[in-house]
Amino acid sequence: MTPFQVFLQQLANGLTIGSIYALIALGYTMVYGVIQLINFAHGEVFMVGAYVGLSACLWLGLEGVAPGGAMAWGFVGVVGASILGCALLGLAVERLAYRPLRRAPRLTALITAIGLSFFLQNAVMLVYGATDRRFPALVPSVRWNLGGATVTTLQLVIWAAAGLMMAGLQVLVMRTRLGKAMRATAQDPTACWLLGIPVDRIISVTFAIGSSLAAVGGVLFGLYYHTVNFHDGYLIGLKAFTAAVLGGIGNIPGAMVGGLLLGVLETLGAGYLSAQWKHVFAFVVLVVLLLFKPTGLLGERVADRA
Amino acid sequence: MAVGALFAAATGCGPREPVVKIGFVSPLTGDQASPGQDLLKGAQLAIAQAQAEGPILPGYRLELVALDDQRSPTQAVAAAKKLVSDPDVLAVVGHLNSSCTMPASAIYHQGRLLQISPVSSNPQISRQGFDTFYRTCATDDLQGPAAARFAVKELAARTVVILDDMTTYGRGLANEFEKELTALGGRVLMHEGITQGDKDFTPLLTKIKSLQPDLLYFAGMFPEGALLIRQRYDLGVGGHFLGGDGLYDPTLILLATPQAADGIYATTIGADIRQVPTAQEFVKAYEAAYGPVGAYSAYAYEAARLVLWAIKTAGRKDRQAVLAAMKTLTDYPGVFGRQSFDERGDSRIRDIGLFTVRDGRFVFLKTVSVE
Repeated sequence: MTPFQVFLQQLANGLTIGSIYALIALGYTMVYGVIQLINFAHGEVFMVGAYVGLSACLWLGLEGVAPGGAMAWGFVGVVGASILGCALLGLAVERLAYRPLRRAPRLTALITAIGLSFFLQNAVMLVYGATDRRFPALVPSVRWNLGGATVTTLQLVIWAAAGLMMAGLQVLVMRTRLGKAMRATAQDPTACWLLGIPVDRIISVTFAIGSSLAAVGGVLFGLYYHTVNFHDGYLIGLKAFTAAVLGGIGNIPGAMVGGLLLGVLETLGAGYLSAQWKHVFAFVVLVVLLLFKPTGLLGERVADRA
Repeated sequence: MAVGALFAAATGCGPREPVVKIGFVSPLTGDQASPGQDLLKGAQLAIAQAQAEGPILPGYRLELVALDDQRSPTQAVAAAKKLVSDPDVLAVVGHLNSSCTMPASAIYHQGRLLQISPVSSNPQISRQGFDTFYRTCATDDLQGPAAARFAVKELAARTVVILDDMTTYGRGLANEFEKELTALGGRVLMHEGITQGDKDFTPLLTKIKSLQPDLLYFAGMFPEGALLIRQRYDLGVGGHFLGGDGLYDPTLILLATPQAADGIYATTIGADIRQVPTAQEFVKAYEAAYGPVGAYSAYAYEAARLVLWAIKTAGRKDRQAVLAAMKTLTDYPGVFGRQSFDERGDSRIRDIGLFTVRDGRFVFLKTVSVE
């Protein structure tokens, strides 16, 4: 392998994990955008997404299905089930845990988010058990050569799925009435309410969309690493949150860029410096960036709302 | 529910039934729950057999107290303190991980509690000079060099990359392997650590691919091992893959997929249980009770039986007497053959097993006896 091929390979590795970070980071950033809440339970929604996907695999009997059409539909079914499950979970979380606290001080909601995170972790542990669960391989493991870098079919699927989801979200937010309402709510919920925009419903929808993206991230994560564990949401959630801050929290393209960038930086750090320092490296980058640009890469300074 | 409450009330009011307890600690939840459960079943089998034979001490009921350390040293210490502070506990079988056994052994030593670890193989543990510590497995200063000799002499590996999981076990084993490897003329291109619980090793493996080593040696446990093997396969990293006993668990092949795991090698801290003549009775009894024998089950069974023997020999409910009895043990008819211990508490049975993966199963290659 030439040094350039090694670099390409590292880039491919980084973009894969970065795509998953980006999908989750979007949920953090969207919720922060509309209600200025860091939804720390979001990492757990991602983990639940992986487990719902696992259940769907088992329920559909996809263990060891021959590659081909059935498998492709199985993949779509599993992702669909996971999206549905997580969207409902997102709606329930917003309705039961955050809406009653809408007028409470922001710290109250933050503590609720942390409590909810523990609750979801333990609930999943009780339902699925505390051991690692194996995630069935829905995508056949075929290796491709892309300019010297080895890429598996699964990686292509991860890139495609993440790209599609992000493009879809961008269209939704920028081109539809719903998206316009979401952007308006992010700017000024009181004014929106006065203009007759159903603010509560818009917030609910935001949670549902953010959770759906995390669900896709969860299934892709399960497929990529073959195992899921009830505490997987913690570290990955933290990384995705970092990605959202890196890109400028509240900014949707920022979360995408932040996720991909974090994945790539982490991979390059592990590959060229030292694997032992992988996690440290990512956070050092964050701290340095925030020193020079406190709003994140694409974030703008907004007036603090009371 | 109501019956249970009545029963509890009845036993609560009456005189306490005298009991002798044996502690057991290993990860029972978390990513290493599967080998932990294998250990537990081994210990349970020994206890059940002893109970069937009659009371271990006249007038005492025998009980196994199983605690979960989640492979975390902090939890291990908490469990050890709990066992030490219970006067009914006379001995402990545990823990699994060297990083747990190490700090816990000091607490058992303070509490004068006999501890037999089934599989904690880090050599430093028995060099602390604790007279309360014994183990039924071979140590990593035997396993590491045996693996290095296999790598150099039989796999003809000249350039090697070493990875470990930075635990007491992983780092210790990797260092023993490295020492012998360099002594035999092998060249270590890189020795790096990975973090337990991490899932993405592709950056590291990409770097390794560019170094083109003849062999990749991994000293760690199977959850990380499986991901390494799988990601190494996906990236098309060439060369052999060799690891320690932490890999020897069927879950490894399940998680890594048989395709990716095919042809990897693993050493174990004892002979293949199915090849040992004295172990066949155990294998039969275990399979009848729990199904296929786990990689570590026999070590825990042996440890529990030794503990029972020591209590029986002591003849009274006294920790000091149990320790004194254990010291007198020689040529005990154990699962792996005639069992006895050196002055450090390490087993004198020093077999290292060698396995490979073929068609989705671990296949026994040979036993390397070490002097």
